[in-house]
Amino acid sequence: MSSYIPTIGLEVHCELKSNSKNFSSSKNGEGVVNSNLSVVDIGYPGILPVVNKEAVRKSLMVALALNCEIVEKLSFDRKNYYYPDLPKGYQITQFANPIGINGYVIINVDGSERKITIHDTHLEEDTANMDHLETYSLIDYNRAGIPLLETVSDPCMHSSKEAIAYLETLRNIFLYLDASDAKADMGQIRVDINVSLQREDENKLGTRVEIKNINSFATVKEVIEVEIKRQQEILESGGKIEQETRRYDEVNKKTVFMRGKVDAIDYKYYREPNIPEIKITEEFIKKIKKDMPTLEYERKRKYINDYGISFIDAATLTKDKKLSDYFEDIISYGCQPKDTSNIIVGFLLGYLNKNDKGISSINIASKDFSDVIKMMTDGKISNKQLKDIFTKSLDEDKNILEIAKMTGNQISDRKQIREIIKEVFNDNSKIIEDYKNGKNVKGFIMGLIMKKTAGKVNPSLTNEILAEELEKL
Amino acid sequence: MITKDILKKLASNLMFEMEEEEYDTLEKEFAIFLKQMDLIAHIKDVDGVEPMTFPFELDINDHFLRSDVANNEINFDDMKVNVKDYEENKIKVPKVVE
Amino acid sequence: MTNKLIDEIRSSLDNGEIDSHMLFEEAVTKAKEYQKEYNCFVTILDEKQEENGNSILRGIPYALKDNISTKGILTTASSNILKDYIPLYDATVYKKLKEAGAVLMGKTTLDELAMGGTGTTCHTGIVRNPWDKRRMIGGSSAGSAACVALGIVPFSIGSDTGDSIRKPAAYGGVVGYKPTYGRVSRYGLFAFASSLDHVGVFARSVKDVCYVMDVIKGHDDKDMTSLVDHDGVYIDNINRSVCGKKLFYIKEAIDIDSNSGELKKIIDNFNTTIEKCRELGMIVEEVSFRKDLLEAIYPAYMCISCAEATSNNSNLTGIAFGNRVDGHSINDIMIKTRTKGFSELIKRRFVLGSYVLQKENQEKLFLNAGRIRRLIVDKMNELFKNYDGLIMPSIGEIAPFFDKDSDRLSDEYLILGNHLVIGNFGGFPSISIPSGFVDKMPVSVNITGRAREDALVLNIANKLEEVLGYRGLVKENE
Repeated sequence: MSSYIPTIGLEVHCELKSNSKNFSSSKNGEGVVNSNLSVVDIGYPGILPVVNKEAVRKSLMVALALNCEIVEKLSFDRKNYYYPDLPKGYQITQFANPIGINGYVIINVDGSERKITIHDTHLEEDTANMDHLETYSLIDYNRAGIPLLETVSDPCMHSSKEAIAYLETLRNIFLYLDASDAKADMGQIRVDINVSLQREDENKLGTRVEIKNINSFATVKEVIEVEIKRQQEILESGGKIEQETRRYDEVNKKTVFMRGKVDAIDYKYYREPNIPEIKITEEFIKKIKKDMPTLEYERKRKYINDYGISFIDAATLTKDKKLSDYFEDIISYGCQPKDTSNIIVGFLLGYLNKNDKGISSINIASKDFSDVIKMMTDGKISNKQLKDIFTKSLDEDKNILEIAKMTGNQISDRKQIREIIKEVFNDNSKIIEDYKNGKNVKGFIMGLIMKKTAGKVNPSLTNEILAEELEKL
Repeated sequence: MITKDILKKLASNLMFEMEEEEYDTLEKEFAIFLKQMDLIAHIKDVDGVEPMTFPFELDINDHFLRSDVANNEINFDDMKVNVKDYEENKIKVPKVVE
Repeated sequence: MTNKLIDEIRSSLDNGEIDSHMLFEEAVTKAKEYQKEYNCFVTILDEKQEENGNSILRGIPYALKDNISTKGILTTASSNILKDYIPLYDATVYKKLKEAGAVLMGKTTLDELAMGGTGTTCHTGIVRNPWDKRRMIGGSSAGSAACVALGIVPFSIGSDTGDSIRKPAAYGGVVGYKPTYGRVSRYGLFAFASSLDHVGVFARSVKDVCYVMDVIKGHDDKDMTSLVDHDGVYIDNINRSVCGKKLFYIKEAIDIDSNSGELKKIIDNFNTTIEKCRELGMIVEEVSFRKDLLEAIYPAYMCISCAEATSNNSNLTGIAFGNRVDGHSINDIMIKTRTKGFSELIKRRFVLGSYVLQKENQEKLFLNAGRIRRLIVDKMNELFKNYDGLIMPSIGEIAPFFDKDSDRLSDEYLILGNHLVIGNFGGFPSISIPSGFVDKMPVSVNITGRAREDALVLNIANKLEEVLGYRGLVKENE
């Protein structure tokens, strides 16, 4: 039985954040049914589209983040077909000249990096929303015309794992750029999946099947696996895969036939005559590049290479831009990045998780955070003390520096420590006797010292000096 | 070669039906039209130029794009006058099967 | 008074001889009187709207072609599919005229969806030529041309995609102006072929056209294809001397070997007209234009316009608006609505338009038509380096009788019947003005100039109109 290699391509539709829609001024956002409307959205006779600058700006930003070649002149095309959620009877999209082409992202799967190439990313508009009831459907046009950025990958992924890694990387780019909230449960990010199978010994791709409109990443994983299995079964039984479009039946966990190649719709793409070519100025691109934050991938590399932070910790820190920004702000005040990372990843996130809170609930100023870390790095407080300070500050919502001051400095003066040790020796003559008799009481004596100083002595120094003093006995 | 079946399929994809006699008229029109277009295909220089989609260059750049300011113009109450069937402030149609 | 020119009407309004109510009533009365015979209107307003503007057009009644969006007022594009459609917004041209104080008195009949050239495909019936009821006035802006020809209003607004203002102007003995593409905003003009559509003016003198143009032109934020350049006030420039201006006409169109007596008379009239141009100090020369390109105009135009029209009218499904016919499924509704709502002619045009846009046909059909368009426009621009305008007879015939089969796509290449499309291909400003009579029917001359040079075209036309002697021509009927 031959082995099959699956190939997957993904088309991701992401709703962009903006105040108004892509080709009209009506609101892009929450609203009462059929209220975020302009005559343009309904496709009444005589209306004309006017392109939204912010949608273009965000699209260019995403295209740059995807390492695409940017188009010199922006143009749009019509995709013509009839469907009740498409008021004009055509969608304004980009067919001939997508805003960005030949890009890539780097994904990480099980520790190894892979480049996933992107065919193009193009700007278009979303359709209206339909509610399907028993015998009728209801149409709400609030969504009609919202800017949608579609990113088409090359068919170069070979497992559902790669596909999900790609989707998460892509989604995070949108979040980092604040280009979209990309909430799958609100339909803001939707995926069309293309799957084909080829035998190991074949050198060309198999026939691809498209599964449309998947609304969650978990479902994407399911669909890929189900479809691979379906195609495998057909091929193994000697059958042939037909090029077709399918949809996913979530209840029965199967992909279902929608239309075949013969019924494939000819969209009759042609240039949108109401939107002239728009030259993208260097000025515009310069400003966009200037405003672009460093992305997840670059930040991870920096944390690993420059700060010596572990891969896993770097991934954790950069998963959410808010956290990464906070981290970078903190270390900008001069504290040790690795120490900072340790306290964040090793303690802070756990604390937040346990208390069901989010990063935005943290009320600690970056400089204060940095100062407290410095206290630990300088040996003035111990790691345990650090954690206690944080806990108290977060629990009681009190200023961390004040709490740090109250907790007091760690005792790291050698003379002072020696004095304390001598005091402990004097106060505990029986234990000293035990020691002289060969009993292993060093740990116990350490405990006494800690108790006496409420844990404030620097542990490693104390250990060293204690050993010296014990020698002298 | 244009056949009536091709014309019928085109009409069907355009979401309408035509009378039988109209297809006869249409066939004749197509014959003339395609003959004319065939002559065009042989015109000197035709291959060497880009198709024209705008009457002239408008020379616009991103400064001319619309500022992202939200402004709702109409709501369902306004739409009602032209809507035949609605419920809960949404347009009602027979159930759409994907 | 509505059959007078704007200066005279303005004067009477300003000195209190008449007021805008009287004018409105006069226009409406005449409109109703002529309605049965000529069918100029789809809607005649019964109440005068308030006029709040303050321009030369204040208080003056006018009509709009019924494919221009007027909020709250029925707008049908003379198609059954929109027979009850009430727009929710105003077209920019309408908004500007309102702000100027002009008074809308009616919406005029057109060929269905503006896709026709005879004035016979309106859902409310045919439009008859005021000069001879047995003849058509052409189209698609049939009603807009007729109501000006009849003196119902001093001006009206039409649209021109292939010749839809200039042809009915020619057949109807009035002035018809198609400005440079984008000079007047298309926002609110029901789209036929977006890259060819223009909003324009009918009036009985070039000066009156200028008064209206000065109000309606200008950049519109709602139309990305509208022009940004400020090209001055037209009325200030129409009397400049045209001495030394150079015009050309197309040899292949005029050098025709024809047996038609009518055509010979039209050519004679044209020759007289160009003599008058020379008397004004203009240079008029004959230029040869590739015949193969000229003969390609009509099929290329059919290709582009039908393709664009098919797409532009895909919104007419009865779902959110339009004359919805009930059905058992959503597709059934769309099919029944469109089958009933469109005439057979329109459907044939859509099928053609759809065919040329198909993936496998685009290269040889739609895109080749676009290439022809470029070759023609490039040739014109080359000629415009040496000439200020193209002057031609507007049409090679007088208004035809009704029984002629002119909406079936025919095989005849009459250059004189198709050259006006050049103005749409290149967005060139183009005006048709009455130049005489042949067999008791008006004939017309057309001047087409460089893109954006509306002022010059209007200037030349005005000076020519002066010496031709048909300024203010109106057909009064008892």
